[in-house]
Amino acid sequence: MKKFNLMFLAAASMAALAACSSGDEEASGGSGSEGSADVDEITAWAWDPAFNIAALENAKEAYNGDGDYEVNIIENAQDDIIQKLNTGLSSGTTNGMPNIVLIEDYRAQSFLQAYPDAFHPLTDVINSDDFADYKIATTSYDGEQYGLPFDSGVAALYVRTDYLEEAGYSVEDVTDITWQEYIEIGKDVKEATGKNMLTLDPNDLAQVRMMIQTNGSWYVEEDGSTPNIAGNETLEAGFETYKEMMDADIAKIVSDWSQFVGAFNSGEVASVPTGNWITPSVKQAADQSGKWAVVPMPRLDMEGAVNASNLGGSSWYVLNVDGKEQAADFLLNTFGSNPELYQTLVEDIGALGTYSPAAEGDAYAVEDEFFGGQQLLTDLSTWTDEIPAVNYGLHTYAIEDILVTGMQDYLNGAELDTVLENVQGQAEAQLK
Amino acid sequence: MSQLGTKKAEVDLPVRTKYEESRRQKTGVFFKKKVGWLFIIISILAITIFNFYPMVQAFLLSFQSGMGANLEYVGLDNWRRLFGDPTFIAALTNTTIYLLIQVPLMIILALFFSVLLNDPKLKFKSFFRIAIFLPCVTSLVAYSVVFKYLFGIDGIINQFLLNFGFISETVNFLADPFWAKVVIILAITWRWTGYNMIFYLAALQNVDKSIYEAARIDGASSLQQFFQITVPMLKPIILFTSITSTIGTLQIFDEIVNITNGGPGNATISISQYIYNLSFEYTPDFGYASTVSYVIVILVVILSIIQFRVAGEKK
Repeated sequence: MKKFNLMFLAAASMAALAACSSGDEEASGGSGSEGSADVDEITAWAWDPAFNIAALENAKEAYNGDGDYEVNIIENAQDDIIQKLNTGLSSGTTNGMPNIVLIEDYRAQSFLQAYPDAFHPLTDVINSDDFADYKIATTSYDGEQYGLPFDSGVAALYVRTDYLEEAGYSVEDVTDITWQEYIEIGKDVKEATGKNMLTLDPNDLAQVRMMIQTNGSWYVEEDGSTPNIAGNETLEAGFETYKEMMDADIAKIVSDWSQFVGAFNSGEVASVPTGNWITPSVKQAADQSGKWAVVPMPRLDMEGAVNASNLGGSSWYVLNVDGKEQAADFLLNTFGSNPELYQTLVEDIGALGTYSPAAEGDAYAVEDEFFGGQQLLTDLSTWTDEIPAVNYGLHTYAIEDILVTGMQDYLNGAELDTVLENVQGQAEAQLK
Repeated sequence: MSQLGTKKAEVDLPVRTKYEESRRQKTGVFFKKKVGWLFIIISILAITIFNFYPMVQAFLLSFQSGMGANLEYVGLDNWRRLFGDPTFIAALTNTTIYLLIQVPLMIILALFFSVLLNDPKLKFKSFFRIAIFLPCVTSLVAYSVVFKYLFGIDGIINQFLLNFGFISETVNFLADPFWAKVVIILAITWRWTGYNMIFYLAALQNVDKSIYEAARIDGASSLQQFFQITVPMLKPIILFTSITSTIGTLQIFDEIVNITNGGPGNATISISQYIYNLSFEYTPDFGYASTVSYVIVILVVILSIIQFRVAGEKK
């Protein structure tokens, strides 16, 4: 009797638990079913409602294939997507996973390598010649193309033309320059206007990241995992330039995103060197219309460095779950082959993709009054083609966390060689 | 039941009834036992599935390493890696600093406030009690963000210090390794002091007033009363609050992530944030992350034992 009761209870609670989990299964769109891969609904995850989610909505409208399925768009914060993917994929269950997911390029390789077979190859689906080289490098692994390149992340220098004029400079003077020239101009601007040239966040080495990519270098070597810190001349130059900017006292120190945006919206800084996704934030200050221009990113003063770089950027991936054919079909018929879609994307939301055939469209040639009538999108897509392709590899953020401490030491007077050797040693010990 | 009573019952009851009675009592005991099991079995199952099973799994995981799902057993490699890992050592040092400064500070403050607010002659007592308790019902993230803005370069603290001439130039609290830690400690203290105070207030209600009366008649000063009566009487509660605060501080995460995000340059990173980074910020290495998690487990166990030894009842 006693045993029976216990067993009954155990069975009942198991049933209750099972009921919970089967609920989850239903919510995920039945991805657990076997055999038939035909599903009538696919799910896509992305972050940023104004940009990526809006792009998905547009894509849904523009879909012109013959598949018959619903596209369910779900907005998540980027951190949440990373957490959910990591926990889901590492537990080996695909329940609750989306069919399409947006992943930041810096993290792409770590997902592709940490979860082999979790992603569905798109090699035969999209034509990789249609996309910028540097995006193909980050979205493919082991000879297979996994990601459909999307957000370009092309970096540019946003400048206040009125401040430049006050200091006796024109837009041409800041076009295609080196960082050294930039610093000199910055000093003059500060003297003439009292404004800092840019903002720097000591906790975020995005500036250094953009600098070293102008010379095709990265924190890791070509293999994507060996730390390339000590003796990396490009990185040394990046560090030196960063310190020069600090020493020249042309930078306002900020500690987070809102201070960063606040600094240029309130007119405290004369330029913003960053990814093109900042355009909507710059335009927020409507009273500054006509006072801005966008020029190519300064380059490091080195042989081979170019005036083009990248910051951030993301691409679409298809997970290897039921519905992958539909998901691939959806991507192919929208972001993979539809130049008109890209026209609406730039017109409606200012989202700049990396699909080359789209760049010839009329929408890209539109003159932007905020930037003094500049054909901003045409310029940005031109620079996109020049971005040096680097393998971001697996450890961008892990190395950068170590590097930030090294940068602090260096700014406080430590020898650069010693600092970088330390970082190299730490990175090697940590990243096996 | 007293022995006398039992004997009396034995004498009075006829043999057959006595047998039936004892049988009835026995089934009663069995029934009670079963009902007891009934009440706790669900919790036992839930605790086993959701607490013990993951704990054992995490322990096994701490001997594995690899990217994401490609884990393999590496023996004690993770533990060896731990002691040569500067980020972990930085996280451990920071967490220890928070612990050593913040927990005693908060306990003393909470004691101080509770004794003040326990004064029967104090007016607006409930107002003050609520005011001090209120911080701990606010959302962790919300108050962190508020602290971040208070101590920002253009924040109100800087404005205040500038206006009153305490400083001549704005201090970048959050970008300075020392001040960033101070801000974190202030933030946690602000939020949790009231929470601990409530425990002390509740305990103070139970201290017999006649003890104080007697002490006063014997000529004990307020200070003497505090140290000789209040503190010893509250000892079990002080033990309880210091253990819960220690555990809380060892797991500190939200404040750090939202106020400084571990910066500048790992100067404020906590162990929990490092675990998060290892699992989700970097290329995930869940094996090493669980090794670091077990460090917290070990620390909590050791510190709790020490606190029990120092302050607990001697048995």
